Amino acid sequence: QGLKPVVSTESPPLIFGTTAKLATDLPADASFLGKNKVPDLQKLFQKADGLPVHLKRGVPDKLLYRTTMALTIGGTIYCLIALYMASQPRNP
Amino acid sequence: MAHQAHSYHLVDPSPWPIFGAIAALLTTSGLIMWFHYNSTYLLTAGLLSMALVMLQWWRDIIRESTFQGHHTPTVQKGLRYGMILFITSEAFFFLGFFWAFFHSSLAPTPELGGLWPPTGIYPLNPLEVPLLNTAILLASGVTVTWAHHSITEGNRKQATQALFLTILLGFYFTLLQAMEYHEASFSIADGVYGSTFFVATGFHGLHVIIGSTFLTVCLLRLIKFHFTSNHHFGFEAAAWYWHFVDVIWLFLYMSIYWWGS
Repeated sequence: QGLKPVVSTESPPLIFGTTAKLATDLPADASFLGKNKVPDLQKLFQKADGLPVHLKRGVPDKLLYRTTMALTIGGTIYCLIALYMASQPRNP
Repeated sequence: MAHQAHSYHLVDPSPWPIFGAIAALLTTSGLIMWFHYNSTYLLTAGLLSMALVMLQWWRDIIRESTFQGHHTPTVQKGLRYGMILFITSEAFFFLGFFWAFFHSSLAPTPELGGLWPPTGIYPLNPLEVPLLNTAILLASGVTVTWAHHSITEGNRKQATQALFLTILLGFYFTLLQAMEYHEASFSIADGVYGSTFFVATGFHGLHVIIGSTFLTVCLLRLIKFHFTSNHHFGFEAAAWYWHFVDVIWLFLYMSIYWWGS
């Protein structure tokens, strides 16, 4: 089966195949964070809003992306400066 | 919206590959700045950006698979090939260090006293902590297999317990190995014995830490219902990697710790 672009209004089995035993079918275990949030997340990430997957969650994604970009671009500039300085002849 | 007529996954445009390459640049040049100019800013920036890229890239893969359903059997097959090839490349990486060890230890030079272990080196007793470490890693191989069976049988509670136990054993190994490093009477600077010992076991220890991290991520995903009983490749990849780490230890133990003492 290929990609299913439309949000499925049925339960998750459509995505993973009908023969799989789902965790939600299992007896709930009181000892762990029991609620299965996967169907909600599936709906969220399959919204047809045109956003790429790395920004799909909105603000937290944007912040993390911008921080990474700042670090890498800034670091590259610092790297070039350091390389320029290191290539200058030094007297012992 | 157009539907694809194939079972592959053509990903959304992503910044992580180029950022990852830049992180590698910053880390390597950062090492140079640290070694030669005693400055750690670049190295810190490199390691930090590497961590951020890894976090976001793998987070996106989980989004694409678990939440968006892009990992068809065809895609999963490609991922399996990829993981096997990666582990094979790591095997070759360690092969180099084993080659170095045997190069120096099979024909010890006069400078070493013509024997192995070299004169003045008092190796760790292989029947003490190293043997315990062997038992720990072998046991963790059993528990991770137990976890896998529990997942395929749909037994969430047992899978969580078994995987947690595996991770605990991994941490115990790391702790014991760190203590051994502290207690050893020789250091990395003690000739070729020290070099081969600490570089080979050191890289192994790093891989134990990487493997433990991978397993921990799997534990979190297991708890969050990401895995189904017949689709849990992330866990399988972590288990393969963990078995690989175990096998490398067995070779290390037999050659460096036991034969080499």
